[in-house]
Amino acid sequence: MSTYTIPVGPLHVALEEPMYFRVQVEGETVVGLDITAGYVHRGMESLVMQRNIYQNITLTERLCSLCSNNHPCTYCMALEKIAGIEVPERAQYLRVIADEIKRIASNLFNAGILAHIIGFDSLFMHVMEIREIVQDTKETIYGNRMDLAVNCIGGVRYDLSDEKIKYIRKQIDRLKKPLEEIIDIYMNNKFVRARTEGVGVLPKEEAVRYGVVGPVARGSGIDYDVRVKSPYAAYDKIKVNVHVENGSDVRARAIVRLREIQEAVNIIELCLKELPDGPTCIDHLPEIPAGEAIAKSEAPRGELIYYLRTNGSDKPERLKWRVPTYMNWEALNVMMPGNKVADIPLIITSIDPCISCTER
Amino acid sequence: MSSFLKIAIRNLLKGPSTDPYPYGETFVPKGLRGKIKYNAKACVACRMCEHVCAGGAIQIREVSDKSGLEFILWHNTCAFCGLCEHYCPTKAIRLTEDYHTAHRQEDKYRYVEKGFIKYVPCASCGTPMVPTAPELLNVAYDNVNKDIERLSKLCSKCRKEKVCG
Ligand code: SF4
Ligand code: SF4
Repeated sequence: MSTYTIPVGPLHVALEEPMYFRVQVEGETVVGLDITAGYVHRGMESLVMQRNIYQNITLTERLCSLCSNNHPCTYCMALEKIAGIEVPERAQYLRVIADEIKRIASNLFNAGILAHIIGFDSLFMHVMEIREIVQDTKETIYGNRMDLAVNCIGGVRYDLSDEKIKYIRKQIDRLKKPLEEIIDIYMNNKFVRARTEGVGVLPKEEAVRYGVVGPVARGSGIDYDVRVKSPYAAYDKIKVNVHVENGSDVRARAIVRLREIQEAVNIIELCLKELPDGPTCIDHLPEIPAGEAIAKSEAPRGELIYYLRTNGSDKPERLKWRVPTYMNWEALNVMMPGNKVADIPLIITSIDPCISCTER
Repeated sequence: MSSFLKIAIRNLLKGPSTDPYPYGETFVPKGLRGKIKYNAKACVACRMCEHVCAGGAIQIREVSDKSGLEFILWHNTCAFCGLCEHYCPTKAIRLTEDYHTAHRQEDKYRYVEKGFIKYVPCASCGTPMVPTAPELLNVAYDNVNKDIERLSKLCSKCRKEKVCG
């Protein structure tokens, strides 16, 4: 059989963002892979050094759209660490609620795209319509469908009235039944199974070797979640059930994401029930001394780490972030070989890559 | 088992779920972060909005005849982040629910929100100063009495002299 090389990307119908793959194939089977990145590099690590600490809340929120809440949240946590700011308890809970609402929307988006790629477009439309419930919730509570503008230094910028709490409860209630329905389809429908089972396998040892995080790790049997291992915001007061699958394939990763949506629904309900009274933000403008700090959070795609160094001025001296996709896309080198050419976009989607975070 | 057919039929019977926009109404919740509105009367020219704006959409500068300050905000540069409103002490700047931002290409640089803060003379020495907005007094004091009101008409120098004697 002859071996040849085919290009996939940087612009490709099934990829959401630009990325270039040089795929070596033998017949129809993938045997090797080269990943080239850099198409959406915007120089943001340099931009943050030219902006003050406040402006960077907005800038980091615009790193990417799907995990947009985690960036400013983690950035603010790093600042709060340096300045020794105590975030009010109510704000901690409100941060968790925003985090989980974003997780639901992000994971539903990925589930929808998966359906689209395997040619199941009616399922894709259905999942995207369920997602609209979450989009409407975000727009009503936060004022925007994607960028929530929740975080500020020392707390949050929104509050929940009784009326709004009732509204969120109603909205997440509306999610429960459709969620069960689609989870059943993703797990048991024979067309979905035929395309996702045994595809893009990342064995547990390889997952450990590549240091993958988030649903990619948990789909390969690794029980790692920042919300449990090093809780931030109010996660130390809330029980998070980490869902782990052992299938290590595209299907396992999809199931982990869907189960995490159900868990997010539980977490939000719990937060709304236990939401303490009090202020939502510190009542003074923060003073940021010279120092350095690391903060991390569990973004929908996995562990997000922020490193911040300040020098006493109101601009960061260095701000660097390590995003989950950075490790996860390297693992494509293990997932791809042995699979069919037609499964390439599917496997890429199964790591839920966020290229704009990674290349910034 | 796990057939999608039932859901597909249900969705079909439900009819379209998209809004007929722009021919009809669309979902606009209260609190949507849309176009900025500025109220010069409530502004105390603290410039915090200008400072926190990531895109540099806001500029506050003295006009050439030195009669006051001009506030200008380019809608096209605004990212609707809401930081300016959050940090504005008097809420002179706020985001409205208006999301209609279509305009002609030739109006690109004229698509702005403007305001003018006219200096008033200090009641004691006559130095031009930014008038103290009642909104600021309400934030600073539980109870605005006559003394405070009188002091608010003085420039910072005269105020210091008056208070410290
Ligand atoms: S909403 Fe954000 S981007 Fe727009 S003017 Fe205010 S601070 Fe600037
Ligand atoms: S609009 Fe508000 S933040 Fe901006 S200068 Fe006026 S008072 Fe200060």
